[in-house]
Amino acid sequence: MDELTREFLIESQEGLDRMERCLTDLEERPDDAALLADIFRSVHTIKGTTGFLGFKRLEELAHSGENLLGMLREGKLKVSAPIITALLHLLDGLRSILKTIEAEDSEGDGSDAAMIETLEQLQAPAKSDAHKQGAHAHSASANAHAASKPAAPVELPAAVVHKEPVAAVEVAAPKASAPPILPPPPESAEAEATRAKAAPGTSAAESTLRVDVALLNRMMNLVGELVLTRNQVLQATSADPKMTLLSRRLDMVTADLRESVMKARMQPVSNVFSKMPRIVRDLAQSLHRRVRLQMEGQETELDKSLLEAIKDPLTHAVRNSLDHGIEPPDVRETAGKDPEGTLRLRAMQEGSHVIIEVSDDGAGIAVEKVRAKAIERGLISGDRAALQPERELLQLIFLPGFSTATAVTNVSGRGVGMDVVKTNVEKIGGKVEIDSRVGKGTTLRLRIPLTLAIIPALIVRSVHQSFALPQGALSELVHVTPEQAATTIEWIEDAPLYRLRGKLLPLVFLDRLLTPAASADRARDRDSFIAILDADGRRFGLVVDGLADPEEIVVKPLSVALKGIGLYSGATVLGSGDLALILDPSAIAMKAGVTMTTEEEATRLSGEDAADVGKGAEYLLVEAAGRKAAVPLGDVLRIEQMPMSRIEYVGVRPVINFDGQLLPVDDTGGVLAASEGNPEAQIVVVVCREGTRHVGIAVSHVLDVATGAELYEAGTTLRTQGVTLLKECVTGVVNLGGIADLVADESDPNEWSPTAEAMQ
Amino acid sequence: MSNQVAAAARRKDKSASALVEICSVRLGSALYGMPISHILEIVGGARPQPVPLAPSFVGGLVHYRGDVLTAVSLRQLLRMPPLDGPQDILVLESSGGCFGLLVDSVGEVLTVPAADFEPNPSTLDEARRDLIAGAYKLQNALMVMLDPERLDPVRLGVAEAA
Repeated sequence: MDELTREFLIESQEGLDRMERCLTDLEERPDDAALLADIFRSVHTIKGTTGFLGFKRLEELAHSGENLLGMLREGKLKVSAPIITALLHLLDGLRSILKTIEAEDSEGDGSDAAMIETLEQLQAPAKSDAHKQGAHAHSASANAHAASKPAAPVELPAAVVHKEPVAAVEVAAPKASAPPILPPPPESAEAEATRAKAAPGTSAAESTLRVDVALLNRMMNLVGELVLTRNQVLQATSADPKMTLLSRRLDMVTADLRESVMKARMQPVSNVFSKMPRIVRDLAQSLHRRVRLQMEGQETELDKSLLEAIKDPLTHAVRNSLDHGIEPPDVRETAGKDPEGTLRLRAMQEGSHVIIEVSDDGAGIAVEKVRAKAIERGLISGDRAALQPERELLQLIFLPGFSTATAVTNVSGRGVGMDVVKTNVEKIGGKVEIDSRVGKGTTLRLRIPLTLAIIPALIVRSVHQSFALPQGALSELVHVTPEQAATTIEWIEDAPLYRLRGKLLPLVFLDRLLTPAASADRARDRDSFIAILDADGRRFGLVVDGLADPEEIVVKPLSVALKGIGLYSGATVLGSGDLALILDPSAIAMKAGVTMTTEEEATRLSGEDAADVGKGAEYLLVEAAGRKAAVPLGDVLRIEQMPMSRIEYVGVRPVINFDGQLLPVDDTGGVLAASEGNPEAQIVVVVCREGTRHVGIAVSHVLDVATGAELYEAGTTLRTQGVTLLKECVTGVVNLGGIADLVADESDPNEWSPTAEAMQ
Repeated sequence: MSNQVAAAARRKDKSASALVEICSVRLGSALYGMPISHILEIVGGARPQPVPLAPSFVGGLVHYRGDVLTAVSLRQLLRMPPLDGPQDILVLESSGGCFGLLVDSVGEVLTVPAADFEPNPSTLDEARRDLIAGAYKLQNALMVMLDPERLDPVRLGVAEAA
């Protein structure tokens, strides 16, 4: 394939993508002339270039579409659903020919007569109008088949759209009465096509560059190498003060470089989201649903390879929502809902993950139905099903071949879909969560890691070597001394268990798992660390012999010969230069026979839902000088332990200096007062968010996280303020807003008035 | 015989004076040879990282230019007792990618006439015949030739599974 054709293919694809977006928009705003002009331009550019390159099939197809679009633009035809459908089909037709050209370097020999016929029939009403007006040129345009003879009225608007869209509106309006303008000479078609191609591209072309993805991948690998070398340099030079400055710089530059290369691979999720309006539209029509699509966070960026990987799962999820979620309009109306359903696509970044939510306000998933189906299919036994918590039952819909749809439609219901979503997302290290309430709707949440190649991991030691444990699955760490081990690790026959906040947690000893031949001696004469892992709903504790630092590791694939073992997801080179195998938490859970958790966890709901069900918020339970208090968990940023000497005083108010940022500390509990004069005493400060500022609360211990229940004042239905029921105890909630501003306390009142007053 | 060593040997047969360069490796007291054309690099004094639960022929993982290579233990393959201490690794290239071969030590490179090559004797036991291509007749000893294609961990993994 020559360079010109390749460029044509890329440009046409982009043009068609834009056209697709515009077409779905056009359906909502049929009178938007700028949109029409944009669509027209896309088709026109393709037509012009194909003529030049000699792709006859494409040219004919594009031409008949252009005729129809020309009439729409001139206002001789009204935009209607059948026209949009026909244009979308035209788009598909053009796309499939482009694909054939890409694969075979020729257009293939399909026939487009039927499509051209449809497109011409749609022009019919306008054609008869044109006859009435006796405008010769118009009928010529409608009859024109051969692209070699460009029709006059079509060329005219083409000349117009090259100007600003505003101009197109002005000129397009009086077009119906403007036939006397002379048809331009035929050869201008090419010239205009090239102009159209060049015009919108120039400004972008100067500042952007197309780069081969393979090159980007190679750069990513090299940066991975650099990160590794940096880690080694940092470790090797840590003792040498002369090298500190240099290695710190190396550290910074490497981090920057890594970020830039990763950024180069980032693309906005709108690249995938933009395909959705079309899919939703087509599905809504074929399923007779009325759906409004809302998209948020389209600018959120994701690595290109990951974006590719979520395309299919996302499409599946959208299909499912339309087919199983949103009910037909009449059903919705009977249920007292807006006949038009809402499908919401939301993307947002959360730490090192991008969350993509597909939520609908449809029928939701009836847990009973899932339960019945699961028993019918023999996936779980009847007794077990009765005991299973809802959250776990909902997970069953991710099993292959599971569908609760009573009728198999051609869209979904065959039971493929949800398992595809899950496997595809998990393949790239992501997670899928589902929340559903009957009658209210379903939310599917895809958690996608920002990048594939470099992941944060905790380095653990077992059987005298290092292993990397991905932090994504790690929820907490517990240290068990040899003396404690005898009592805290309990056994039911051969199954070790740990009592974590009153619940039994299955344990897996890594050393036993890796060396099955070793003696099954229960006694442990060394320190143990329990890494509590949550792998796809399987919660268990992995017992290791030691912990090393967390590290950002570069994932290296393992040879096929070692993949068969199944416990490792790759290998990595540590800062020390040692190699470490990367453990795969789900594989370990599977191998050790840990099943999905039966622990009923508070289903995470979005804020509005939480209010709906009246489920209390989560609180951090703290103890300050013997009294218990609760801090809203959502406001907690971090928990710091520090010696009393870190506390300084501004006037009488205790503060902590974090690199020049002063954190006011609340000492209502009197913890600071109690340890005053003892700089060695360790205190715990809970750092919270309050509005836009951060505040600290001094406490003696952090006890637990618990869900609070509401309390009502006796004899009323008034919710009590400032107290909540935590673990059956009435507990006061710390009023973060009550912690006074440092500024308000210390500064001259005249200086801060405007902003501070606004804040009050 | 379809392997490259034999093919090379046959090619060389035509011109009787052709010479082949062979890297000698030691394993216990025995001398083995590997055509240098297949060797990417020799890494000395390596300590491979063991892989728990791996097939027996895997001697561990080694870090080689940013990649993690699977190292095949020649001792394990030949059912010899494992050796403590650092070993040398030949980084080899096969159709399935790169891999390492753990040997006791790497010796000098010998130049031998291609004509001195002889295929395996029919009396060689089956297991060894799978790994050995044949031998060169040196003046006072035989250098047993190893075939990198046959030592590829992917191939060995399939063979072990079968």
